[in-house]
Amino acid sequence: MVARVHQTWRRSLQVRVVTITLVASSLLVGGFAYLIADKITTILLDSARTDVRQRVNSGAGYAAKQVSLYGQPQEAQLQETIEDTVNYLAGGDPEQISGVVVAITADGYPNVIQARTAPAANVQPLISQELRAAVASGKVASQIRTGRLTGEPTKYLVYGSPVPTRFGQIELYYLVPLTQQDRTAADARATVVATGVALVILLGLLAALVTRLVVNPVRVAARTAQRLSAGLLDQRMVVNGEDDLALLAASFNQMATNLQRQILRLEEMSRLQRRFTSDVSHELRTPLTTVRMAADLIFAERDEFDPAVARSAELLQAELDRFEELLTDLLEISRFDAGFAMLDAEPTDLVPVVHRVVDRLAGLAERVGVPIELDLPGTPVIAEVDPRRVERVLRNLVGNAVEHGEARPVLITLGIDETAVAITVRDRGVGLKVGEEKLVFNRFWRADPSRARQTGGTGLGLSISLEDARLHGGWLEAWGAPGQGAQFRLTLPARAGDRLTTSPLRLVPADAALPFGGPRDGGPLAIGPGADGTLAIAPAPAEDGHRAEVRS
Amino acid sequence: MVGALGAALLLGGACGIPASSDVRVDGKGGTATEAGSNNGGRSEPPTRTASGSDIDAFVRNFLDAAAGEPDRAYERVKLFVAPEHQSKLQEKKGSEVALNVVRLREAVFTGNSDLTTTVKIKVQQLGLLRSNGTLAPPVATETGYEFRVRSAAFGGDDERAGLYVLDPPNVLLLSDNALQQYYQDESIYFWSSDGSRLVPDQRYLPAAVPDERRVNEVVKWLVGGPSDWLRPGVVGLPDRTELVNNATGAHNRWEVNLDMSGDDQTQIDRLITQLAWSLGDLRGELALKIRNNALPVQDLEARRNSEALYPIIEGPQRYGVYEGAIRPLDFPGEPSGDVPLSAEVNRNIVSAGLARAEGRILAAMVVNSGKGRHRLAVGTGPALNRSGKDYASISRPVWLRTVDSRPGRGLVVADGRLYRFDEAAGMYQVPLNLPTPEVTAVAAALDGQRVALIAGGRLYVAAVNLDGGGVSIGPPRALVTSLTGLSAVDWSGEGRLVVAGSAGQPAIYGISVDGALETPLKTDVGAKVNHLTAYPTNDEVPSPSVGYMYEANGVAYRSSPFERIEPGQVRDVAPPPAGLRPSNPSAPFFLY
Repeated sequence: MVARVHQTWRRSLQVRVVTITLVASSLLVGGFAYLIADKITTILLDSARTDVRQRVNSGAGYAAKQVSLYGQPQEAQLQETIEDTVNYLAGGDPEQISGVVVAITADGYPNVIQARTAPAANVQPLISQELRAAVASGKVASQIRTGRLTGEPTKYLVYGSPVPTRFGQIELYYLVPLTQQDRTAADARATVVATGVALVILLGLLAALVTRLVVNPVRVAARTAQRLSAGLLDQRMVVNGEDDLALLAASFNQMATNLQRQILRLEEMSRLQRRFTSDVSHELRTPLTTVRMAADLIFAERDEFDPAVARSAELLQAELDRFEELLTDLLEISRFDAGFAMLDAEPTDLVPVVHRVVDRLAGLAERVGVPIELDLPGTPVIAEVDPRRVERVLRNLVGNAVEHGEARPVLITLGIDETAVAITVRDRGVGLKVGEEKLVFNRFWRADPSRARQTGGTGLGLSISLEDARLHGGWLEAWGAPGQGAQFRLTLPARAGDRLTTSPLRLVPADAALPFGGPRDGGPLAIGPGADGTLAIAPAPAEDGHRAEVRS
Repeated sequence: MVGALGAALLLGGACGIPASSDVRVDGKGGTATEAGSNNGGRSEPPTRTASGSDIDAFVRNFLDAAAGEPDRAYERVKLFVAPEHQSKLQEKKGSEVALNVVRLREAVFTGNSDLTTTVKIKVQQLGLLRSNGTLAPPVATETGYEFRVRSAAFGGDDERAGLYVLDPPNVLLLSDNALQQYYQDESIYFWSSDGSRLVPDQRYLPAAVPDERRVNEVVKWLVGGPSDWLRPGVVGLPDRTELVNNATGAHNRWEVNLDMSGDDQTQIDRLITQLAWSLGDLRGELALKIRNNALPVQDLEARRNSEALYPIIEGPQRYGVYEGAIRPLDFPGEPSGDVPLSAEVNRNIVSAGLARAEGRILAAMVVNSGKGRHRLAVGTGPALNRSGKDYASISRPVWLRTVDSRPGRGLVVADGRLYRFDEAAGMYQVPLNLPTPEVTAVAAALDGQRVALIAGGRLYVAAVNLDGGGVSIGPPRALVTSLTGLSAVDWSGEGRLVVAGSAGQPAIYGISVDGALETPLKTDVGAKVNHLTAYPTNDEVPSPSVGYMYEANGVAYRSSPFERIEPGQVRDVAPPPAGLRPSNPSAPFFLY
C-alpha cells in the first residue's frame, strides 16, 4: 500500500501538484479560518460581556437603592424586597423565557437572608467559589460556566457584583445564557469551515485541471516518444493552437521527422552495406570455384614443378582455403545480418558434441603441444539446442584456446542445472587485458594487430559464435586477465525459448587471482593510507589485534 | 485535505465559547450607602427592662411595646412576655397584623401569693391600627384585660432584670399615647369619585420607619386604596395597580415605579398630583415610572404650588348674627369683610352659612318665618329662595364646597333629619344608615367630600358623594370619644374635628378624624354648646390662630385668644340707647 502510494507519488506529477496545492492551501485557509472564527467568538463574547456588565451595574444600582431602605438584615420586608428586586431585574415576568437568571445572595448573612433567584433555579453550582470570593471582596467579576438550570446544559456568563447596603453587602448575580452567542459562533465556524473546505477543494480541482492541461500533452509526448523509441517512427503528436505545448509538439514532430529520416537513411545504408557484402561474397564464390579447381589441379601436379613453383602452389592452396573459409564466414554473417538465420533446435546430448569437437581439434592441439582436459558430467547433458551451431561455437572457442594456449592445458567444463547448460573453455595463455573481454566479439578484432595470422582465423569466428548464442537466447561471455589466460563461457537455456537468469558455471575461474592479491586464508584486509597519498588495501598483519567488521 | 481536517478540528475544539473560564475581575463594585437616619431618638418604644420593677411603668411600656413597624410587632411584644408564656400570644402574619388601640382608663394591681401581680386594666377601644396605617373602627369589644406580671429575676431582687408578663392577652395592645408618640399621622389623598378634587385620608406611619422609606410606605398606602369609610366618596388608583418593588430615593430625588393599567396622560397627571400632595412636605423631584416607562421628572413642590388642594385665596372672615341680621365681626389684626347680603333681605336671620365659590358667595340662612317656625333661605338677594316647608328647628346650614362652577349644594339638619338643599332652597332628606335617625348637627369638611355628623349624641364621619347632582352620604363611621352628649361639631383641619359635648361638664375637645387622638380644648364651657364653628386649617391659607367660635347659653365666644364676642365687635352697630342692655351677637361663623 505504502509502496503503491509512494510509486504513485513518484510517477504522477498531477498527484504531486494537487497534493501540494491541497496541503498548502488547507494550511493557509485553515489558519485564516481559525483566526476569523476566533475573532468572531471574541467579539461575540466581548459584546455579551459589555451588555451584561451594563445590566449588572444598573441592576446593582437598582438593588442597592431597593435594599437601602433597610437598616437591618433581619427586617421582614427585606426578604420580600430582595425577591421583588430579583423578579424585577429578571424582567418582572417569571414566565418569560429569555433565560436570564438573576440571583441575589447574601453570603455574609447565610441564615438571615435567603438567596433568591428569578426564575427560580438552583444556581449554586454555577457560581463558583472563586467568583463568590471575588464578589464578596467587593469586586465586579465574571466567569463563564456550563451548567444545567432548565433542561439542557448551557453555557452561562455569570456576572457578579456586590450590592452595598446599610448593614453590609449582598451579592447580585446575573446568569446570562450564551446559547445565542454559542449558536452564532458555531454558525460562523461552520460557514468559515465550509467556505474553507470548499475553497481548498476548488483549489485542488483547479490545480488538477491546470496540471492536467499541462501534463496531458506531456504524457502524449511521452507516449509518442516511447512509440518512436520502440521503432514506430511514423508516430506524431497532434498540434493544437499556438501555445507552448503546441510549440513543443511541433518541435517534437520535427525532431521525430528528422530522426526518422536519419534512421531510414542509416538503415538503407546498412542494408546496402550488408547487401554489398552478401553480393560480393556470392559474386566471389563463382570465380573462386574456378580458381579453386585450377589451383587443385596445379596443387595435384606440384611434384612435377620445380620446387619454387611447387611451394607457390602450396601457398596458393592454403590461401584459397582461407579465402573460402572467409567467404563462408562472411556469408554466414550476412545471413545473421539479414535475419535469415534460423534455429533448428532439438534435444541434444552435449557430451558427444564436446567429444566430437575435441577429437576434431586433437591434431592441431597435438601439433602446438596443448593438452585438452575435459571436465564433463557422467550423465548425458540434454538441452534443446541446434547441435550444428553449438558445435561450431565450441569448435571456435576450443580452437582459439588451443591456438592461444601457449602449450599449457586447455580445460573444457560442462555444467547443467534446471534451467540452463553451460560450457566453459579455459586456457592459460597470455590472457586478455582489461576491457578486451568485450572487444573480442567484434568483427575482425585482433588482440595484437601486428601479430601475423598464423592460423586460419578469419576474425569473424567469435562474432558468429555470439550470434549463434543469441539465436539460442543464450549468453557468450569472456573473461581474461593478463598472464592468467582467458575463459569463455557459453550458457544456453535448457529449453528453447526460455529466458536465462543464471548460469550453472562461473565466468571467472576459481583459480583466478583477485585484484590486489585478494585476502589470503580468510584473513582481514587492512585499508589505510598508502604511498603517495593513495588508498591502500592489503592483508592485515596477523599479529595486529585490530579488527573491523562491516555489516550491512 | 489533512490541513482542512486539522483546521476543522482546531476550530471545533479551540475557538468556540469555552465551557468554563477563569474569573475575570472588572474592578470595584459600588460603595456602601450611608447609614440611614431615623426620626429622632424616640422612634422606638422603651424596652422591657427600662421600667425596672415599677409595675405601673412596666404596664404602660407593655402597652407601648407594639408601636413600630407592624411586621415585627409580635416580636417586640413577646420580649415583654415571659418566655414560657410567649406561645400564648398567637402570631399573625403580614397584613393581618393589627394593633388594638386602646385608651387606658384604669389599672389595678393585685399582689398574689406566688410573687406575681395580677394587673387588671380598663380600656376604651379606639380602633384597630392595621398594617396599612389606617385606624379602623374597633373590632374588639373588651373593656378590660387581665394578666399577671412577675419579676424576671429568679430568686433575686435585681431591679435591672425587669418584669415579665404572664398570661398575656391574645391581642396586640397599643395605647393612644403610644400612637401619638411613636407614630406620625400622615394625610394621603385620594381623588373624589367625580375626579374634581383630592380628599385627605388619615394614616399612621411608625416613627421607626426611616425617612427613605416614607415614600415607599405612602405609595403603598395609595396603592392599597382609601380607608373603608371614605370609599363611597373617593376613588383609589386603577384596579390592579401595583408598586413595582420599593419606591426609593435619596437626596431629593424619589423614584416610584408603578404597574398601572391605562396610560392616559390625564390620569397619570392626576396621579402625580395625588403623589405630590400625599408626600406632604417632601421636597425634591419625583421620577415616576409607569410599567417601567420613565415619565418626565416632576418637582413635588412645584406641583403642589400649581395644583392647589383647596380653592381658598383669602383668610377667614368672622360674621355673626346680630339682631336678626348678619354682621361682620371686627377683631383687631384680622381681616373682615362686608355683608354679602342685600340689606333688605338681611333680617329675621337665625343662623347662616356662607361660602365662597368661583368668585361669588353662596349664602344659606335660617330665617324666622313666624310662629316659632323656621325656613331655609338661599341666595344673596335681592330676592331669596325660600324652602317650601317650615320647620320647628333648623341647624346652621353648611355648604359642600366644590372646585368648579356647579350649583352650590349644602346640608342642613331640620327637625332632627338631615336634608340637602340647593341654591333654589329645595330641601330633600338624605337617607342615613345610622342606628338612630335623630341627627343633631352636620359639618362639612373643606374638601366637601366628608361630613361629620352628630346623631344620637354620638359622633360620626362619612363620605359624601356628589355624583349625578344629588348628595349621598356613605355609611357613617362612628368615632369613639370620651365626651358624651355631643351637641355640635365642625372641622378644624383636614384630619381634625372640634366637637362639643360633656366630659362631666360641657367641654370642647379636639379630636382626630378617626377618633384616636383627643385633646381637650376647653373644659369649662359652663353651658351646652349649641353652635360651634371652626376654620379648618389648611395648607393654602393656614391661619392656625383663627381657631373656633361657639355659642353657649346665647353668648358667642371665640378662641385664641379665648374671649367672649362683645356687641362692640359687631360692625356698623350703633350703641344701643343708654339703659338698654345691648343684645348679644349669636351664631358666629366664618366666611372663607
